[in-house]
Amino acid sequence: MLPSSLSVASLDFGAAVWRADALACAAGATVASGHGALDAELPGGGWPLGAISEILQPPGVWQEWRLLLPALTRTPGPVVLVGPPHAPFGPGLGARGLDARRLLWVGAAAPAARLWAAEQALRCAEVVAVLAWLPQVRTEQLRRLQLAAQTHSKLLFVMRPAAAQSESSPAVLRLLLARALTAGVAPDALRVQILKRRGAPLAHTLVLPARPAGLAVLLALRGDSQGPGQQLVAMEEAGHALDCLAAGA
Amino acid sequence: MHWIALRPGPEAARTSSTGSVADEGADALLALGEWALQYTPKVARLDDALLLEVSASERLWGGWRALLRQIYTSNKPVAPVHYARGATSLIAYARLQDKALARTSPDDLPLHTLAAARPHLATLHRLGCNHWGQLRALPRGGVARRFGAPLLAALDRAYGLQPELYPWLVLPDVFDATLALDAQVETAPALLFGARRLLAALQLWLQSRHRGVLALELCWTMDARRNTATQGQLLLRSAEPSADMAHLLRLAGEQLARVTLPAPVHALRLRTLETQKLAGETASLLPDARRSGDSLQQLLERLSARLGAQQVLQMQPCDEHRPEKMQVWQPAVNASQLIATCEGRTGARALKDINSSALYPTWLLATPRQLAVHQKHPHDLGPLTLVAGPQRLEAGWWVADDCALRDYFLARSERLGLLWIYRERLSGQGAAANADADAQWYLHGLFA
Repeated sequence: MLPSSLSVASLDFGAAVWRADALACAAGATVASGHGALDAELPGGGWPLGAISEILQPPGVWQEWRLLLPALTRTPGPVVLVGPPHAPFGPGLGARGLDARRLLWVGAAAPAARLWAAEQALRCAEVVAVLAWLPQVRTEQLRRLQLAAQTHSKLLFVMRPAAAQSESSPAVLRLLLARALTAGVAPDALRVQILKRRGAPLAHTLVLPARPAGLAVLLALRGDSQGPGQQLVAMEEAGHALDCLAAGA
Repeated sequence: MHWIALRPGPEAARTSSTGSVADEGADALLALGEWALQYTPKVARLDDALLLEVSASERLWGGWRALLRQIYTSNKPVAPVHYARGATSLIAYARLQDKALARTSPDDLPLHTLAAARPHLATLHRLGCNHWGQLRALPRGGVARRFGAPLLAALDRAYGLQPELYPWLVLPDVFDATLALDAQVETAPALLFGARRLLAALQLWLQSRHRGVLALELCWTMDARRNTATQGQLLLRSAEPSADMAHLLRLAGEQLARVTLPAPVHALRLRTLETQKLAGETASLLPDARRSGDSLQQLLERLSARLGAQQVLQMQPCDEHRPEKMQVWQPAVNASQLIATCEGRTGARALKDINSSALYPTWLLATPRQLAVHQKHPHDLGPLTLVAGPQRLEAGWWVADDCALRDYFLARSERLGLLWIYRERLSGQGAAANADADAQWYLHGLFA
């Protein structure tokens, strides 16, 4: 019999037991997301490898590149896009550090074909990350995808509509990208709400300043000159500002 | 020396092909010969049997017993086969004639099992000579005079006193095998079971020739009916030489799933159209340097086989000013190009040859979407605030109907975030005056 003074809390189980009030130390490897504020709140300090990370967005909003690009630029290897909503624009992605020639665009209309393509991509040894846009997916299908992800240690992001946040999901991490612009925060900052993680739920919304330097300069210029007149910032000026920044660095 | 003699069982001949009985036997023997070549390069045909000399390859297979276990049990040929073994080919062949002789010593083997003695059997029997040992005990000079030198030479070979030389079996340059199906097949996916057997034979052929397959043709013969073709075929292609039958089988499965058969199929044929020498796999000293999983090439081929080549795309940058022509998404065929991009040229330097700018969006609409205009201002689910611009673009004026005269703006939407929109300028002097009034606004990109 255990002595009565020995409570469960005083026992040290090491990493084998995870208490629900603490952030889980990641069971598997992670890849830093590149956003400091987000990394601090993610178990293991980054995107989990070999598990689904679900990203929910309101209809018509496609802000995933901002969130994912820092991590994708750090992991060399092909990235498979399954059913992206629009064409990824190489020149724009290039300025943010991602060579678009690394991307493999798999177009598939049927939900079943998208799931199949995502599963096949996970099986490939060379592929480092799979981004799947699955607007219509059922929980049991996601569970199957999660099992496939577990056996192959890859980054897997599933983009779903914000309406899916009330459904249960087998994803270990669920993020909601809030509306792009809300009063009270810096315009164009990325607002991320963590719906689910291995750890205590996060009450507040994270605000990530996620714009590339040139664009940020341009937007800052615009912010300064918010006078009554509809004064537009000429793009050429911003280009010069960008060059100056680059020269100074 | 260790010899193994094989003869396909009477049942095996039937499954092989159409044609006369003699043809069927020869085909079965050839198929068995291809199977046997995986154990030793010394495979010879003697009448209706195959002879394998395995002493040189015993070590490779882990010893004589391990090799026998491999041949007899764990990796049996598909069709039933009779086996016998002996120290020389003629002993093994003699023991193959009758199962009761499997353990008989060479001296006690009956004379009719020696092919060279068959013409003289009656005479030898009258001499009281019934076994090899008795014939061997006769004086050699007398035997040579009475029965000729060939008998003596055969006896010498049988006892290992002279070397045994045969025309060794060599695989054909092109793999071409047919398979008569046991039952008629009505649906195309069910052909996969027959294809699996042919692919197994192909794998042996590829292994022994150290080749990988680039293009394969799977043909089937259908029942003759009115108004339908009697032949159908399927072409399987692989960008890299492949000896992985699981991959080829999956490709065949994907393609067969889309085939409808007008009539039942009774025979299958598999033929290599193009093969290439296969480079050996580089082994790594470190255990984790090799990742598990399929190769990228296999992924590309599998995705293209099911979804269509136009659905699996990779980007090619182009020197252009019009955003929609700055990049071409073309079918990804060759994985090595994709891998080279990923491995050799990561980092900022690689991006130099893409005309990139932070002022470009990350998503591009395939076709620009026209925006509603209220009081000269573009709207998209609410009013759009112009943030920066204009960036003037004039390109394509040298091509009729492809002229782009646009002013690009960054616009902010309450709901959708930062957008990349443009106002189409009308060409000509007269149009410039009232350009503002009826300007057309288009959404062309999203900043994600």
